[in-house]
Amino acid sequence: MSAETEEQSSGFTRHGSDDYVANFSGSEREVLINLVEQIVELLGERRDNYDDDPLAAIIGITSFDSPPDDEVLMRLLPNAYAEQVDASEFRRYTESTLRAKKSANAMSMRIDLKSASDGCVEVDHDGANAWLGGMNDIRLALGVRLNVQANSHEDLEILAPDDPLRGVYAVYSWLGWLQESLIQALMDDAL
Amino acid sequence: MMVRVDEKTTEIIEEKIDEAIKEIFSSDKPWVTIVWDDPVNLMTYVTYVLIELFGFTREKAHGLMMQVHTQGKAVVSTGSREEMEHDVARLHEYGLWATLQRGDQAL
Repeated sequence: MSAETEEQSSGFTRHGSDDYVANFSGSEREVLINLVEQIVELLGERRDNYDDDPLAAIIGITSFDSPPDDEVLMRLLPNAYAEQVDASEFRRYTESTLRAKKSANAMSMRIDLKSASDGCVEVDHDGANAWLGGMNDIRLALGVRLNVQANSHEDLEILAPDDPLRGVYAVYSWLGWLQESLIQALMDDAL
Repeated sequence: MMVRVDEKTTEIIEEKIDEAIKEIFSSDKPWVTIVWDDPVNLMTYVTYVLIELFGFTREKAHGLMMQVHTQGKAVVSTGSREEMEHDVARLHEYGLWATLQRGDQAL
């Protein structure tokens, strides 16, 4: 039997010099695990055919130099240069590393959540940074779905009850709040 | 034969040498990293990432974040092209929207 509570999380708080703790309800934990797994899957989608050049695979050079077609992936893996030729060259040498690092953040969140059967997640400074990056990637992905570029927060607050984006916006807002609680906990001792 | 250089000429020569030296050293750092405004990233998050990655004081990081927020962009670091590529990669890792370009290019 799980000791998990249904009490809503009150966010991250700092414990001791560099430990950050948050308690999640069963449903919060489930939602987070689900989102994290979607991000891992999304980041793994663009597979390279390494058969042609095993050496390139080993040193992380991809044959992809064009930006991803998917709008969400494009936001997670943006161009480094405005100039297309430079952007492509940079992407060819760095995209697989960026994907791996983002996947590692998401995986680290997944492990923390999976192993927290009582809903209590405790991370150190590096773990907290992985959570911040991971939560931010989820928010960036949800932000594309919600089209936050064009829609103001006021627009999104008044979505109709039957609008499927309403639930997406609720999760997006909650994640922003959770991320903020961790930033505040980290900044507490940043001086 | 003795060439006499008056004070005025010496001054001009020294000025030219200074300019040349400045140019040599500034051409060593002709690239910039720019962070662009983004409606998703939290203001406190941008500040935190700048402190974490560049070791800025809280005041400096906050000032740069406000510049991004109000003016749409801010130069957060300058240096060689390789250094700026490294900075952009680290900012992308945290999900900030960053690009690099030559410092003399119009922002």
